[in-house]
Amino acid sequence: MLSLLGGIFLGWSLGANDAGNAFGSAVASKMLRFWTAAILAAAFVILGAIMEGRAGIDTLQGLTTLTLKKATVASVAAALTVTAMTLLGLPVSTSQAAVGAILGIGFLNRQVDLNGLSKVVVCWIGTPVGGLVIAIMVYMLLSAAINRMRIDLFRTDILLRIFLIAAGSYAAYALGANNVANVTAVFVGAGHISALTATLIGGLSIALGILTFSRSVMETVGRKLVRLDPFSALVVVLAEAITVHFFTFVGVPVSTSQAVIGAVLGVGIIKGAKTVSRRTLSSILIGWILTPAAACIIAIVLYVVIHLKYFSEF
Amino acid sequence: MLEFFFKKERQLESLIYSYLENLGMIQKHFVKAMNICLKEGVSDDFCFLMDQTHRFESRADDLRDEINELMYSRALIPESREDVMALLERVDEIPRSFEHVLNIILTEKIALPDFLVLDVQELIRISIESCDLMAKQIDVMIKKREGIRALMSTIDQNESHCDHIERRIIVKLFESDLEPFLKMQLKELVIVLGEISDQVDRVSKRVNIMAMKRRV
Repeated sequence: MLSLLGGIFLGWSLGANDAGNAFGSAVASKMLRFWTAAILAAAFVILGAIMEGRAGIDTLQGLTTLTLKKATVASVAAALTVTAMTLLGLPVSTSQAAVGAILGIGFLNRQVDLNGLSKVVVCWIGTPVGGLVIAIMVYMLLSAAINRMRIDLFRTDILLRIFLIAAGSYAAYALGANNVANVTAVFVGAGHISALTATLIGGLSIALGILTFSRSVMETVGRKLVRLDPFSALVVVLAEAITVHFFTFVGVPVSTSQAVIGAVLGVGIIKGAKTVSRRTLSSILIGWILTPAAACIIAIVLYVVIHLKYFSEF
Repeated sequence: MLEFFFKKERQLESLIYSYLENLGMIQKHFVKAMNICLKEGVSDDFCFLMDQTHRFESRADDLRDEINELMYSRALIPESREDVMALLERVDEIPRSFEHVLNIILTEKIALPDFLVLDVQELIRISIESCDLMAKQIDVMIKKREGIRALMSTIDQNESHCDHIERRIIVKLFESDLEPFLKMQLKELVIVLGEISDQVDRVSKRVNIMAMKRRV
């Protein structure tokens, strides 16, 4: 059980950081109380993890062969990377950290599934692009529907609020389904726990992060989204959820934050406004390279350290 | 089903319509009071109608407070909340102007000279017409129907028309043989009267912006 702590810590930080992408706009705009959002997000994350978390776990455990010791090192390395980069204020994706750490162990094993890796990398690039394309499609479809319905101001408000809560719940479901693999896939690969237990433990640890530490991130991320009008914020959350859910079917854990950035960019294209700065876009590029590289190096260093004479009892 | 979960919004809608209805009552009493003033000057009937105008103006304040309180308890989404509050703040200046005009007449014991009566009547008629159009424009905006721009354009034309009448009255006033002090008193009254159509015009433009913001 102790060996799972690294994974649980990673899940906790993932929940604390990523729930904002699902319910941030609803909470920051005071459409929904934090606790209602947190409970909804936690419930849907667990549901998503249990219902559809299996595919991502299969992909990640297929990247290399892991023993329990290596799995623990990979999981701790990913958690350390996420924590260190968050503390340094650098853009970080838990999915990229988890994959980077697994690759680090894979390099030491001299056994990396390059096909699996290329699939993962393509999906990383596809995440913001997917967010962008889906946001444009969702915007066009929803706006056409709303304009056709000709509903009054008060009913439009009611609908927007309901849709935003529904989209947030769906985004939380997609987060659980897609990102649970980051948390516990390595332990399934090591044969330590079954896939079902992994999805349950992973889902619960993400939910714990949401319930205990997501408030400030939810409000900060939400405030950025609230700068958009409520309809655009709804489109962004929905597009992010659809994108992340799509990659769940593909079986690759992706970054929800990058899906959000892509979606915000898509809304900007539709509205003819600059919604994303160059700095944010470059943060995606940095994330693609720096996060997996850092996690990979930390995993290798950790693995070497625990094999030094004085730690060899580990 | 939706009505059950979002009864605050329904309550808010009904309060906003009550506010607009109340605005209609203020207008009605103001017009009656002005007609009496133009006919017989400050009389008991005028005072009674002025009290009635004040009563409805106070009711407007109460309704606005109730609306704001409801919105602070999270009715509507924040953007709409902000817009509705700002809109009502602007609309609320109109009944205050009605009351202000009547107050000036009562406290300064103003009697309008005959040569100004027709122009003042026209100024009041067009201002009230603009108020009615503004209430209609707010209703159209709430119901998300077509015609907001057309109403805005009519209100804008009325505002220019009122400006012309206001200038005409002031010119006539200063060409007359009235006492200089009386001229200044009447000028002040005409300016406050003319302000009504300006306020309506500002509300109308605000409504147009609100409607544009909601177009997706």
